[in-house]
Amino acid sequence: MTRRLAALALTIGIAWFVVTGPQVDSVLRPTALALGLALIAASISGELLERLHLPRVTGYLLFGMICGPYLANIITRPMARELQLINGLAVVLIAFIAGLEMNVRRLRPRLRAMIELGGIAMLVMYIGLFTVFWLVWPWLGIAPDLTGLQRIAVVALLTTVVASFSPTVTIALVAESRASGPLTELTLAVVILADLLLILFFTLVMQFVRTAFGGPQEIGLFVSLSWEIFGSFAFGASIGAVFAFYLRHVGREVPVALLGLCAIIAGAGARLHVEPLLVALAAGLVVENVAPPRGDMLKEAVERGALPVLVIFFVAAGASLQLDALATIGGIALAVSGVRMAFIWLSVRIGVRYARIDPKIGGLVWMGLVSQAGVTLGLTLIVAGEFPTWGATIQTLVVSLIALHQLVGPVLFRAALGRAGEIGRLGGDVLGIEEQLDTQPVRAD
Amino acid sequence: MTLAGLPGRVSSVFRTRAALGLRPFTAPVMVFIPLGIALGPGALGIIPEVALAHLDIVISIALATLGVFIGIAAGREARGAGRLLAAATAEAGVTILVVAGALFVLLHSWALPLEMSFLLVALALGVCASASAAPAVEGADSRGAVQIAARVADLDDVMPILLGGAVLVMAGPSVRPALLSTVQTIGLGLAIGFGGWLLVERAHVAAERGVFVLGAVAMLGGAPAYMALSPLLAGMAAGLFWVAAPGNCDAIVARELRKVQHPIVVLLLITAGAGLELTMAGIWLLAPYVIFRSAGKILGGWTASRIAPGIAPSDLGAYLVHPGVIGIAFALNLQQVGNESATALVFAVAVGAIASEALALVVMPSSRAA
Repeated sequence: MTRRLAALALTIGIAWFVVTGPQVDSVLRPTALALGLALIAASISGELLERLHLPRVTGYLLFGMICGPYLANIITRPMARELQLINGLAVVLIAFIAGLEMNVRRLRPRLRAMIELGGIAMLVMYIGLFTVFWLVWPWLGIAPDLTGLQRIAVVALLTTVVASFSPTVTIALVAESRASGPLTELTLAVVILADLLLILFFTLVMQFVRTAFGGPQEIGLFVSLSWEIFGSFAFGASIGAVFAFYLRHVGREVPVALLGLCAIIAGAGARLHVEPLLVALAAGLVVENVAPPRGDMLKEAVERGALPVLVIFFVAAGASLQLDALATIGGIALAVSGVRMAFIWLSVRIGVRYARIDPKIGGLVWMGLVSQAGVTLGLTLIVAGEFPTWGATIQTLVVSLIALHQLVGPVLFRAALGRAGEIGRLGGDVLGIEEQLDTQPVRAD
Repeated sequence: MTLAGLPGRVSSVFRTRAALGLRPFTAPVMVFIPLGIALGPGALGIIPEVALAHLDIVISIALATLGVFIGIAAGREARGAGRLLAAATAEAGVTILVVAGALFVLLHSWALPLEMSFLLVALALGVCASASAAPAVEGADSRGAVQIAARVADLDDVMPILLGGAVLVMAGPSVRPALLSTVQTIGLGLAIGFGGWLLVERAHVAAERGVFVLGAVAMLGGAPAYMALSPLLAGMAAGLFWVAAPGNCDAIVARELRKVQHPIVVLLLITAGAGLELTMAGIWLLAPYVIFRSAGKILGGWTASRIAPGIAPSDLGAYLVHPGVIGIAFALNLQQVGNESATALVFAVAVGAIASEALALVVMPSSRAA
């Protein structure tokens, strides 16, 4: 461990020397430096946290937060921005991995119970949160003067955003823990179902808010909504089929092909108005369930890529945690966070009872639903952009909530996975297997 | 002779090309630079300007990776091969002198409108020209001259990278003295190399080791790039350190990097191709660059054979006409530090590399001669 701590100190020292050194007037991007720092220093931080029985990903997050622009500023604002660019690829790869882990044949016997749990949990949570927000509206400081339809609309919007989960963080934690079992499958099913419902609800509620505030209405609302959900799945399935064909009939340079696949999905998101997360999930599902590749080439490529991707994703998330927002609105955020967690617990409890799921496992699912991240942030950006007056206050509140839930969520979920005995049950190892050294000659080109 | 039957050194050359999906005699530059041009903003536009800007990270990491490979290869080769190192350095030095000298004279007489001083342009082109790739020949030639040429190709990159580090500082926006910056780059490479050694040797499992190696290489690319210094030089310093350090660090790093070598080389060449801009200065520089590079290599090879008689063959230079990717990487590095004139240099070096590869097929000694 001494060597690792020395390496950690040296790496941070080098980065600090470079970043604070005499600046050259150039157009250079700091991406590679940020990437190197994140990979080395955050990996060691993750290992340190693991020794304290906390998730590695919390170590990556804390490293990003501490070294990020709001505290030590070793990862400067431009560096954090550059890491966010890589984040797009990371989200896609994480969702693709989730798709690969979902074997429909294996899940089919429990599919109905999963859908029931997810549906009921979301319904109870929406009703509960809506009621609470309606009652405490004057004290939330968002737009206390609103009344009638406008207040209903904005409360519904706030409920939708606050009720959202983070499929990416949940999937990432499952990948990092190599978790497998009923709790893992149940939690993944609920977060993915919730993500689909979130897109649906958010689009509907935004339309309601526009109507309430006398804004323009989108005629093609349901067309665009259908496209975002079904188009994503269709596009993902097609691209997954092409990738499966490549794996079967070409099978060369699989890591490059996988990187290319992720880049295409990440890039296509904005252009085709599809949800990259759903696209990648569908692609993974097709590869796993329709045309699984022969041999271990994909497994090896995914396992090699998973760890660096997870590290970068969480460091970027940590570095972009807006701690100033938390400082501004911390008290209210803590209260809202407490209410949210209480409703997650309650709604899952009701859902588990209705769907007749083993309470030993079902009772732990709520711990996997606490995290919030990119999807939620994206929604608040849309709200703040369209309704700058009260939308900006919602954004500040939700950003604070994300900061809190990013830190608490992974810890809770890891604890739940540990309690269910599912950590490390997946075949293989995200950290790979030992390999024999070779002494082949080295060539630069 | 089958590929498996070839000695390790030569088969690695075949493996590199084969893994890229190329025939043994088709150099990566001849495929991927034209592909980059086709995909780039000037042609099909599949790689737009915005994407090219984001691919900057690939250049930095590719430069560091190549530097590490050269450092490790040179560090291993230099052990007990002092005369060969001297011969390879002389070969590179002569090539730089021939190319830089000739181009300096030409640039003066042509008075090309370049933002960089003529001396720096000439020196930069000399550095780009001096790098060579290990020759790829048929199995029968996998001994004698070819083996020596391959070793020289490993060692002749050391001096140009050192000189290139200084040229980069002089051409870039840095206000520090070139010597100090060069020392600083080496120091940075050694420090990151030391950090990497602390981690890589004791990594628990393969994926963790992969993360540490990737992180170290990203630091080797990113830290110098952020300071407008040379990632190639920093990478080489780290590579040399890993060979000298106790344990198997060099073998571990080489093995991990070999897994990303092909994608990185491909991306580097595609990026170079996509970013190529046809300029008048570039066109003017192209032909002299190819001609003087070939002349420099022949003369340099002959000089090396005088320094190490009995080891280096007199026609060594003919084997070293293959340019490889180091020269292109260095030109891209110059462009990266924001030097406008580097656009012309990148064009001359990248297109020149294709021409040199074609030329190498003609001038390469036949299997009988070897």
